[in-house]
Amino acid sequence: MNDSALHMISNPLALIAEVTHRCPLHCVYCSNPLELSAVNSELSADEWIDVFQQAGKLGMLHAHFTGGEPLARADLTELIAGARAAGLYTNLITSGVGLAETRLRALVEAGLDHIQISFQDSREETANWIAGAKAHAHKIELSRMIRQHKIAFTVNLVIHRQNIDHLDEMIAFIEQLAPERMEIAHAQYYGWALKNRAALIPTRVQLEKAVEIVTAAEKRLAGRIRIDSVVPDYYARFPKPCMGGWGRRLMLIQPSGKVLPCHAAEVIPGLEFENVREKSLESIWQESSSFQRFRGEEWMPEPCRSCERRAEDFGGCRCQALLLTGEATATDPVCSLAPAHPIIEAALLETNSTAAISGPVTAGSFVQLQKRVGDLWSYRTNPE
Amino acid sequence: MAPPEDSSQPRLATGCRWGAENKTVAERERVILYPEGALRLRDTGLRILERCDGQRTFAQIIAELQAQFSVADPAKIRADISQFLEQLRHKRIVDY
Repeated sequence: MNDSALHMISNPLALIAEVTHRCPLHCVYCSNPLELSAVNSELSADEWIDVFQQAGKLGMLHAHFTGGEPLARADLTELIAGARAAGLYTNLITSGVGLAETRLRALVEAGLDHIQISFQDSREETANWIAGAKAHAHKIELSRMIRQHKIAFTVNLVIHRQNIDHLDEMIAFIEQLAPERMEIAHAQYYGWALKNRAALIPTRVQLEKAVEIVTAAEKRLAGRIRIDSVVPDYYARFPKPCMGGWGRRLMLIQPSGKVLPCHAAEVIPGLEFENVREKSLESIWQESSSFQRFRGEEWMPEPCRSCERRAEDFGGCRCQALLLTGEATATDPVCSLAPAHPIIEAALLETNSTAAISGPVTAGSFVQLQKRVGDLWSYRTNPE
Repeated sequence: MAPPEDSSQPRLATGCRWGAENKTVAERERVILYPEGALRLRDTGLRILERCDGQRTFAQIIAELQAQFSVADPAKIRADISQFLEQLRHKRIVDY
């Protein structure tokens, strides 16, 4: 890349810090790679703090702490303080498991700006079933504790075929936890979720009903709770602008210091990733071959290359293209204009065929369902 | 959702705060950081939000801005500020 092209790159805006892959939950739609970072390879607190300093100097604004479960790191308070001192807005994405009042207070005093708790369902039994752990009751208790502090609070709810039928009940459940924001995200099919896709894709009827419910809730809660919703891209006409464009806004750092343009980038063969232990964030942002690989429009095939939407959705998601077509440079198959779109149509046909649709499952029967279909899905494991 | 009233005291919503001032650009520019994004502010937007300190009332903010933009139609200034704050409350960046 020549000098003039280098100057065209704007600075990254946010750092996604996967501080550990350890997690007490085993969610079936986890976005972590199937190959998790080993515990003994994790960056030290000093190494993370140095990364945050570099991020602040590069002009980044947000640090999103995620994992695994960030709380599994005993030094999390120190990391939050380090990111805040570097001028970053700090966001903790957590299951809340293991977070008691004393530690929450310490995190807030260290400069935590925003906490995001994920709920797996409004019903305890189902929630614990999906998470593969008994965490639901604790999360409710934690939500009440959070409201005693002056930090922003988001409740995140992942929806999918097994819970979407009682979405209105889940929204009402979240409402009484009184967050500023709720995120209603359909599971996206990467990592563990792709492995479990057949059990997760909603039917078209389910989806249409869900969209209506969300629209009504947005109206009702306006000015109190902001709702951000993510639709399942399999049902969309055009792909999502994944990561706001490859190498345009975000840098993701794995527990071991490996730097990726997105959560799933490792699935793409032939990409080489740098490590913050060896190179500066700035040089990785500017020069890394992996960040440059799908930056801009040079790599685009038709129909993206001449598509008027190319600066809006950037050809969709590279990892999804690879996972579904075997070619990372293909147009994201969820796009209705993509040559590989029949792959999606086939998956949806299977989902929506009468044979595949199981009747609505009542709360009480979830555990029975679990026993009946022991191979419904695979739970996320933990790193060594 | 109702627009602000004269006695409302607009303020940044919980968990939203000012970031560092951008000194690399000629015009004064500041950002407000919120959970999933940032709002870059210059000129009028900046003047309004710097006054949303939870102390000043909506009526005071309007009066101060009307004094600064004495050539503009006062009614229009009022309507613009009201709409601006209402939009930001919708995004949960401002409360009043």
